[in-house]
Amino acid sequence: MKEITAIIRRDKLPETKNVLDELGYPSVSIQSVDGRGKQKGAVCDNDLDPELPDNYCMSVKLKPTPSTYAVEHTLPKVALFVPKRMLTMVVPDDVVSKIVKSIIKVNRTGKTGDGKIFISPVESAQRVRTGEKDGEAIA
Amino acid sequence: MKMIRAFIRPEKEQEVVLALEGSGFPSLTKMPVFGRGKQKGLQVGPVHYDELPKTLIMMVVDDKDVAKVIGIINDKARTGFIGDGKIFTSPVDGVYTVRTGEAVL
Repeated sequence: MKEITAIIRRDKLPETKNVLDELGYPSVSIQSVDGRGKQKGAVCDNDLDPELPDNYCMSVKLKPTPSTYAVEHTLPKVALFVPKRMLTMVVPDDVVSKIVKSIIKVNRTGKTGDGKIFISPVESAQRVRTGEKDGEAIA
Repeated sequence: MKMIRAFIRPEKEQEVVLALEGSGFPSLTKMPVFGRGKQKGLQVGPVHYDELPKTLIMMVVDDKDVAKVIGIINDKARTGFIGDGKIFTSPVDGVYTVRTGEAVL
């Protein structure tokens, strides 16, 4: 058994759930998390509006209002985070690559912030209602 | 690769994040959680708090960086009083970046 932890965009959640349904592995835990990656949380508005040019965020300059001045000069640097959805699911070993490929296919936009998928081993599982173990518990 | 899950005090979160960023580990996921430890919560006079708010910081790093990251979190999150939190490390078999589809961190 493997645990798949996928951290994805919020607006891709319905599509991801649909594709997991189609694969026959609809069981998933979903959590709202905040995260950031290599870009340290820097996001552009063209994440929200695909019509905007790719370099839109590069050309926008913040006006020197008192608040931004304060952020830049006196307060400690603010740590930026982007809201994301985290999906956790435990699946049998042989379907891991299939599920990972499907999640990547649905969530890929080619822009930063598409997310990460982590795969970790799980030793055992038990269904609380019936007491079934391991393979049967996640079937 | 290893996944590090650190349960820390919410008020120490920014300090820890900035320290990690300064050491070259900017990528992390955080979520607010509630929990309790050995002391079964917190007793303040007549009031008993069964579950206390904590921040869970989750990050996946290369094996060689695990000790360094844990050291930074330990250093910044410690106050010496109960409720400083716990750090858990678990193995990660595979990592995929969705944007490129490649199996790299």
